[in-house]
Amino acid sequence: MKLVAIDPNLRGAGPFADEWLPIKPGTDLALALALCNAIIAQGTLDRQYLVNHTNAPFLVQEDGAFLRADGKEQVWDEASGAAKAFSTPGIKPALEGRVNAQGRNVRPAFQVFKEHVAQYTPEWADPICGIPAEQIRRVARDLGQNAMIGSTILLDGVELPYRPVSMMFYHMSQQELGFQASRAMFMVFMLLGASEAVGGLQVDTSWAVHSGFNAMENATIKNPPYDFTLSNSKFFPINSVNPGMIAKVILDPQKYEVNKLPEMAIVHMANVLTSFTDQPVMEEAWKKIPFVAVIDPWLSRTADLVADVVLPAATMEKYEGPIGAGDGYEDATAFRVPIMEPLFQSRGEMDIYLDLTEKAGRLFGSGGFLDRLNTALSLKDPNRLELSAKPAVRDIFDRWAKSQGLSEGIRFFETKGVWNKGPVSPRKKYGYGQDPPFSGIRARLYGEGLLRLQKEMQAKGAAQTYWQDYTPLPTWRPPTMWSSPPKYDLTLTSYKKIEFKQSRASQVALLAELAPEQRVAINPATARAKGIRDGDMVLVESHNAVTGQTRQVKAKAALTEAIRPDVVGMPHHYGEVARHPLTRGQGPTPNTLFFTGEGYVTNTADNTFHVRVRIEKA
Amino acid sequence: MARNGMVIELDRCQGCRACMEACKVENNTPQGNFWMYVFRLEEGEYPDTKVRFLPRPCMHCDNPPCVTVCPVQARFKNENGAVVVDWDKCIGCHYCVVACPYGVNYFNWKDPEKAYYLDWKDKDLVAATGGAIPPYQNPDLMGRYGPQQRRVAGGGHLKGVVEKCSFCVQRVEQNLPPACVEVCPVQALHFGDLDDPNSDVSKTLSRKRSFRLKEELNTQPKVFYVGQSPPGARAREIEAVKAKQ
Repeated sequence: MKLVAIDPNLRGAGPFADEWLPIKPGTDLALALALCNAIIAQGTLDRQYLVNHTNAPFLVQEDGAFLRADGKEQVWDEASGAAKAFSTPGIKPALEGRVNAQGRNVRPAFQVFKEHVAQYTPEWADPICGIPAEQIRRVARDLGQNAMIGSTILLDGVELPYRPVSMMFYHMSQQELGFQASRAMFMVFMLLGASEAVGGLQVDTSWAVHSGFNAMENATIKNPPYDFTLSNSKFFPINSVNPGMIAKVILDPQKYEVNKLPEMAIVHMANVLTSFTDQPVMEEAWKKIPFVAVIDPWLSRTADLVADVVLPAATMEKYEGPIGAGDGYEDATAFRVPIMEPLFQSRGEMDIYLDLTEKAGRLFGSGGFLDRLNTALSLKDPNRLELSAKPAVRDIFDRWAKSQGLSEGIRFFETKGVWNKGPVSPRKKYGYGQDPPFSGIRARLYGEGLLRLQKEMQAKGAAQTYWQDYTPLPTWRPPTMWSSPPKYDLTLTSYKKIEFKQSRASQVALLAELAPEQRVAINPATARAKGIRDGDMVLVESHNAVTGQTRQVKAKAALTEAIRPDVVGMPHHYGEVARHPLTRGQGPTPNTLFFTGEGYVTNTADNTFHVRVRIEKA
Repeated sequence: MARNGMVIELDRCQGCRACMEACKVENNTPQGNFWMYVFRLEEGEYPDTKVRFLPRPCMHCDNPPCVTVCPVQARFKNENGAVVVDWDKCIGCHYCVVACPYGVNYFNWKDPEKAYYLDWKDKDLVAATGGAIPPYQNPDLMGRYGPQQRRVAGGGHLKGVVEKCSFCVQRVEQNLPPACVEVCPVQALHFGDLDDPNSDVSKTLSRKRSFRLKEELNTQPKVFYVGQSPPGARAREIEAVKAKQ
């Protein structure tokens, strides 16, 4: 298998990458569009897939809306030379051309897409992404050739399209243009027909119509006042509910037309004050929440700074689960069983919630916690919980296991460990394995709903910063951070170290021994130009191009040839994540340097883990 | 009696250092001692940079220079070919540290009570842990092993003693692989009898071209690397793990 790493910082993918595309941070959208351009130019298109399983043939009017008749989207039937409902049997829908239907000038969505990406050539992307055009074309060629368009494979007696090209871009969405960048990368694989085909890109380990598929398309914008998450607001009608943005709302509710702020919060096994952008805003906002309870095994920074009550949670000493343990090919379920009694005053969260809801008078009866557990755990008769008796946690999960068909109940996990359910049938795993394929839905090459939202946002008076990326096709614009003054000559990105989990592990002694402190990854050429040597303490100062704010931290330099010269990297751990002697002197979190709010969140309010910075020897 | 060795598939290793962690947990080594160590190496210049990983346990040489130089016979090759240290006998002279070309030896500069994360003599700690046994007195590692009944596992961790990878004598005795092998999430590490043609290690070696570190020194290491060529002379270490001062 050939592997291409697309990352400003080569990191752990290094030994496995056949090719490295050291992309400039924040430009993945430009790269994806250039790949789409090159793939169309080279003609490696899975037209069968585009015609039958996407909205690529749907006719788009000049106003950007689909042409409909009797509520049905229309396609151009090349056989009869007329517009027909897309679901009409026996038709031959066109992907290209311009026609007149119902007295209107219309084009198939694919034609609109093709004309749209015509401007985004690899040569255009070259200076934006910092990747040679020829390298982009080579990747496009590799994708086109290896997609083996038209090929099929027989799996367990089921013949399915075989498109062995894929991409992992999970956290790519957490950059300012990340929403459209993710769409555009997905489109690369739609063009190749590799979406949900064998060997191709899969949204999940088995096929299901994603809950967001219709929710996003049908998102509505309400009139203010909005709730503090800004759900269904004119600001972020598609909303990732990012605590960083909520913090901005808490600090300025009037700006966001919010009239009620949270009066209490329960933080469950999370360290929100260090793990999101941006840390100073988060700390200021959370201090305004009147009552905060934190459930955590550690005295996290969040617990330390803002908790009124800390409820110590057990870690390995509790029943927890179920946990999906399948690998996509074999289905399995794991369940954590306690290896000992909880230490000190800690308790499992289920015990904590049973007690809390009992005290609050919300444990029993219809709509109570037990009733909710019956639904959440899909408990079936005779294993449903009685709504009038407080159960032991083990009993709850025993009922769950029995409802799942394990006659031994939870004892199965206590004695046998993982429940291996065997191979996942291709009928379950692949979108193409469904009857009808993809459960009858069509992937959206053209996002009509996004255009509708943009128009509604404009009509409700939202500023351009909020609606500008609600475009039916992914559209490039320079990221806001690029407006920072030239002296902020580098881009900071954060990344995960394999030693740690999120911002919740660097206080663990044995883990911290492997990676004891924050280090700023700097290319040696950049370091030389700035008189910085490996191990020197450096000052990193970030700049907010919208507000002019700056932030500073100091950390030691780590020189590496595996990072772009115009980029510096900091792992997203550390930052005194907990009040713990071992975290003293570990150095800062980069989340102090990142910003949140306009220009520094996606159009869905998600975090943006990049910012322009300057560095100097401290 | 076996001639146990290790085969490390470099093209599988993802440099996660879980083996280092497993070793620390299994052998209760003091802070900064890594009987198993994973080098993260970098070669070339941007953008033609190559990154690679190289796990480095003790090489358990068939011709071990550390054994030759040990003046008190604390260092010896055991019945399974593992080169081990009898920490009862070691006088901390450092000869083995100097003789070993692989840097696998760790000298304990501190008393064990001061070399771990907690002050195990602190009254509050003793009260909170109910008098739990400190990690350096793990009874599983304090015992005597093999036909010679010598103290060669990771017990004691005494000041003034040199310690290193034992191929987990305490596990091998129970027919378990060393902790690093057991924990590797990508099965990059293989352990077994090099003299048994049906062992996992022999089979892997018969399939793939291998190299050993500093073979020219005739130390005859029993740790083999497959899946990649040896690191170049200009390889630089990045993300080194050092003892916290």
